[in-house]
Amino acid sequence: MKIHKLALGAVALLMIGQASAHNRWILPSHFNLSNDKGEWVMVDVTASNETFNVDKPMGADKMKITGPDGKSVRPGSSYRGHRKSVVDIHLEQSGTYQLKMGGDPSYWTSYQLKGDDKKHWLRGVNKLQRQAKLPKGAINAQTIESYANVVTYITLNSPSSDFKTTNKGLEFVPVTHPSDVAQGEKAQFKFIFNGKAQAGVEVEIVREGVRYRNDPNGLKLKSDKKGIVSFTLEQAGRYLLMAEHESEVKNNPQADTVGGQIFLTFEAVLD
Amino acid sequence: MKKVFILLALLSLLGVSSVSEAATEFKIELNLPAKSGEYHNPYVAAWIENAQGQSVRTLVLWRDGAKWLKDIRRWWRKVGRKDQNIVDAMTSATRPAGSYQLNFKAVDDQQQPLSAGNYVLRIEIIRENGGRSMTKQLFTLDGESHQFTLAKSYEIAQSLFIIKE
Repeated sequence: MKIHKLALGAVALLMIGQASAHNRWILPSHFNLSNDKGEWVMVDVTASNETFNVDKPMGADKMKITGPDGKSVRPGSSYRGHRKSVVDIHLEQSGTYQLKMGGDPSYWTSYQLKGDDKKHWLRGVNKLQRQAKLPKGAINAQTIESYANVVTYITLNSPSSDFKTTNKGLEFVPVTHPSDVAQGEKAQFKFIFNGKAQAGVEVEIVREGVRYRNDPNGLKLKSDKKGIVSFTLEQAGRYLLMAEHESEVKNNPQADTVGGQIFLTFEAVLD
Repeated sequence: MKKVFILLALLSLLGVSSVSEAATEFKIELNLPAKSGEYHNPYVAAWIENAQGQSVRTLVLWRDGAKWLKDIRRWWRKVGRKDQNIVDAMTSATRPAGSYQLNFKAVDDQQQPLSAGNYVLRIEIIRENGGRSMTKQLFTLDGESHQFTLAKSYEIAQSLFIIKE
């Protein structure tokens, strides 16, 4: 469990420190299903920069599955391999299921040493703890409280939309239902930060199959005053949405800044 | 007295609607192409959307078990998953390649006459181990008869859509 947490944290650290670390995503076998007798889905969980080719394992034991009634759903079975984890889930009720990892804060303290431009990091060290942990002569100490949400939605029969927010860090709020995004139709997603609509969230949306084209063709957007991004995807397919936002905070004894990331997987249905 | 009046009003309404129901008809000559090799009957949905892209009437649903309804992608997303009654009311088995003459009254899902205006006929055809066709035909209900040729594509041979006043 501890190792798992550290591994996740290390990825988060890299994300903050440099833009080129691993993305994480949950990719279900199906986003939309029809059946009056329930359905099975299988879900891949991985840390990978190739959308959607798996790369590094990421434990799925912390994945929270929330059913349409708001109650948590237990997975059938799971397997952790060297490139991905796989989770089997039986959907019994009609409606939309939320699959989510993350949501817990992690703390990262950065500092520099005199005469050295390099940023050093202390993981799992918050602002209250850092004085004791920083080496002698450390300058420019900064602590970030980081939240990352890796999330996807699966709908059996009719979609439902009772998704609770934690109001901590950056969160995704559907305007267009995530199971109702279609090729050639305008869609809108909203982002909240600490529970409030957040302008200026940096969003990138990448279609699957990046390995087989030269230009990843990521769609780059920024949320408006209402925290909303609007887009029309011309091609059907599976997409990874990445969103990031960081801001300074006062009145938080544990950190100087709060950062949030979202990795949302969804499909644009063929028209 | 009041009750009698309401009853009369209702009767007259019904009278009016049945007259206009009789007035406009849709005819579809649906041609499903033969394919070589392994062949599964296609799943077919035909429906009418209003100018806002909302379905007002499902005309055809040729289907298998509920598990495969999702494969009729647009119809399922826009219509089927939102209205179990339509799915239940339309249950109809799949059919093989061939020519089918289909007739409908120009009414909505509630059996009310469609008002004059712009609509889109959509025919979605999907075949297991085959392909998909999404045929889209804009039309206007304006009291005149019209005939449209529906172009062939992967899972539909050239077909006809006729509005008969």
